[in-house]
Amino acid sequence: MEGILDSYMRFLATLTPAYFFELFWFYFVFEFIRYFFLEFIVLNLYKIKSWTQRDKKEDARRRLFLENPLVSILIPGKNEGKHLYKLANSLSEQTYKNIEIIVVDDGSDDETPIIGRSLEKAGLIDTFIRNELRGGKASAANCALRFAKGKYIIHLDADCSYDNDAMEKILIPFFMDNRVGGVGGNVSVRNYNESLVTTLQGIEYFNTITTGRTVTSYLGIYRIISGAFGAFRADVLDQLKGWDIGPGLDGDITVKIRKKGYKIAFAEDANCLTSVPNTFKKLIKQRLRWDKSLVRFRMRKHRDILIPNQSFKFSNFISAFENITYNVLLNFKWYVYLGIMLTYYRPLFLNIFITNILLYTTTNYVKFVVYSLYRPKAHVSMSYFLVYLPCMVLYYGMYLRAVRTVAYLQEFFFKKSYQDPWNPRKTSIHGEYLGI
Amino acid sequence: MKHFETHNYKSNFVLEQGQYSYVYIRNFEIPPLEEIADHDAVVIEVKNLDFVRLIVNAVRSNLDPDIYLTPIFLLKKDVLDDVPYIEELVDGSIKSLDDLGFVNKEIDKINIRKNSLNITSSVSFEAQVITKLIALMYVRELKVLNPIPDKYSNLYYSFPFMAINFEEKEEHLALKILNLAEEEGMLRSEYFDRVYLCSSCSGSHMSYREVCPKCSSSNTTPDDIIHHFPCGYVGPMKDFSNEIDDKLDCPKCNKRLRHIGVDYDKPSVIHHCNNCSHNFQDYNVNAKCMSCHTDRSVETLKAHDIKTYRLTKKGELAAIKGFTSTSKDIEDVVGTVKYDTFKTMLKYEIERLKQTLGDSNLCAIHIGNSSQVYSKLGSELQRGVFKDLVSVIRSNIRSSDVIAFWSSSTIVVSMNDIPHKIALRITGEMVELLSELIKSSFDDLEVNFETKTVALDYRKPHEMQLRELLAEFD
Repeated sequence: MEGILDSYMRFLATLTPAYFFELFWFYFVFEFIRYFFLEFIVLNLYKIKSWTQRDKKEDARRRLFLENPLVSILIPGKNEGKHLYKLANSLSEQTYKNIEIIVVDDGSDDETPIIGRSLEKAGLIDTFIRNELRGGKASAANCALRFAKGKYIIHLDADCSYDNDAMEKILIPFFMDNRVGGVGGNVSVRNYNESLVTTLQGIEYFNTITTGRTVTSYLGIYRIISGAFGAFRADVLDQLKGWDIGPGLDGDITVKIRKKGYKIAFAEDANCLTSVPNTFKKLIKQRLRWDKSLVRFRMRKHRDILIPNQSFKFSNFISAFENITYNVLLNFKWYVYLGIMLTYYRPLFLNIFITNILLYTTTNYVKFVVYSLYRPKAHVSMSYFLVYLPCMVLYYGMYLRAVRTVAYLQEFFFKKSYQDPWNPRKTSIHGEYLGI
Repeated sequence: MKHFETHNYKSNFVLEQGQYSYVYIRNFEIPPLEEIADHDAVVIEVKNLDFVRLIVNAVRSNLDPDIYLTPIFLLKKDVLDDVPYIEELVDGSIKSLDDLGFVNKEIDKINIRKNSLNITSSVSFEAQVITKLIALMYVRELKVLNPIPDKYSNLYYSFPFMAINFEEKEEHLALKILNLAEEEGMLRSEYFDRVYLCSSCSGSHMSYREVCPKCSSSNTTPDDIIHHFPCGYVGPMKDFSNEIDDKLDCPKCNKRLRHIGVDYDKPSVIHHCNNCSHNFQDYNVNAKCMSCHTDRSVETLKAHDIKTYRLTKKGELAAIKGFTSTSKDIEDVVGTVKYDTFKTMLKYEIERLKQTLGDSNLCAIHIGNSSQVYSKLGSELQRGVFKDLVSVIRSNIRSSDVIAFWSSSTIVVSMNDIPHKIALRITGEMVELLSELIKSSFDDLEVNFETKTVALDYRKPHEMQLRELLAEFD
């Protein structure tokens, strides 16, 4: 141990700025600039914009309540009955009242039909549709959409819970800019203190959703409205005729809305809490599904975004390009970096590895503390996460990177997303055939 | 053996044969009903069943026992279908007037039993209806009262001997009175069926419809929901209908639907309300009452059991001895408590005496000739007499003492914490006052009051002491 420390101190002493950059270019070029420097600047600009637009936002809120449009809340799902009473009750507490709640039971094999039917009778939900044959999440959402009467559509997951002003907050962006076609809500982790993996996801959601989506939204390249909490203009969804088959349908519909020429906004103050997988094994399953959809939708189904043609739009191009670059290309580029380090700097590899860990951890701490100042009110004290931040390098940099790599390769070479049991085979088989 | 006896027309309505005289009703002519009491039977010529029903109802619903108990026979010259409702109310049928001899035996039997009855006027409508029912059952030796499916009845089931007393809209009251008669021990019942009646008017002519759970409109249209696999579109079948060639085309991707289970399926059915545009799967079932037009959920309907009833021995005896009032009638008299409550209070008084060794008394006042008395009084007057009797008794006893009816002719009174001698004196004074009251109220009415007053014995159970007190009045 002492030897390693001595060697490391000698290594640090030899580091000149040029040599430092030569060894840690990957961190500087991709991580530091994109995920710290750029985000920091944008967060400041965002704050300024929020302050200058505070009157406009208040006016939008006033117009929302003045117009008081009917808002249809769609809750599709399978075996979600156990969450429905709590969810319906929390929705009745919302500050925005003109809502209709439509629940679609996608072929549940538990008590969901009985629970849903009794909630409908009790008036806690407006319409409960029971589909005996499971059709997948998209079909359930489309079924709910077909019978929705609202001017705006909000898509929720049954196992999530919402701040009592969340519906109001997610609708305001529509009244601030009439080119907005969809708005994503801010999703945080409810069970952050259940296990190490949920705590790390709590930090990850803070970084990638609360901060990440604020930044991408400001830049006009926000690309995924979470299925857990997303709002849409009904006329836009009507043009698109709803969701296409998944998995990854929430990212897909966001792209489709963008392609129609509408803007996508992020409502960072519309808070939703969700339960995340509580074991590493379950998380792998979820992330494999998510990561495969990136390849399937961004690189395959919507690759036309990247090609200059008549419907080419720069922001859409950047949105997809940034997504593909930072998630797919850099993921593989990291292996190149690893290869170079192992090949050309093998004697120094341990020291490079330690320095990388220290660099990333330091950045994580600085980001976490500084960005907390920009974050809207949270349901949990940020200090709870501080002790877990060093784990993020291994969690995000190693564990999730490995999962991403597997997912990308599976989808690139085997189109594995079409075999995912998350979607019924009867629909996936058509998706595979049609290449969608 | 056939009876070929000649019959003579004494008047337009009266027919005689031997010693028997019949009221003969034909050609849609209706005789004065009071005449029926002077004849042995009624014969109705059956040409129009509605007319027959009208006549039979009129006879049986009359309040005079000499009229409503009169045997009725139908003269059926042509072969006609039996109408169960009418058949239940009549005593037989003949094919020609020459056959009258065949029914005379039945007339004798009915009239003998009819003459054995001691019908008193009743305190209440309920008691009156029960009296008529048990009298009709008794004279006809009708042991079982069966409900008859009857599309004309407001309950769909008819008890003809009960239905005659009610307007169509009030027929449900028949069920209540039958239950009351059962509670009184006159009838014994067995479950037969159940009907659901309107919660507003107790009618049973309902139209059941599937209605929208939001606006209760029955103007709804069901439609299959279709899920198109390739594009994930889901909607009612009308979304897919192609008006040109009647095939199904997807409104999202324009593909033709070809093979259920392969490229599409039908996961459920949805109903669309054409009135309020609500979409739903779980419709409500409403019942619209055809009588009062209320339209409510079937859950609001009142369930009533339809039963068959048997006349009990007690019922037969009540028919013979007369049935004046139901326990409900005498419970309703102000200033009295229910007999069961009286017994409970007596039990506590005995317990109290065990501690205090004081003097308490139990008194019974009985109207010996109650049948005669009640026969002379109308039902309203009887109620008045009950009230007056109780009021006189109440004014002579302490407010802590209690009064209860044991029967319509016997009143029991507790007189607590006074010596037996004084109790006897008070009882005597009460009887004098009661007699004076009756004299002053009714000129030609003589009431025989009998009394018995006993000192309460704390060593004997309360029920035994009551039994001993009331034994001679049973």
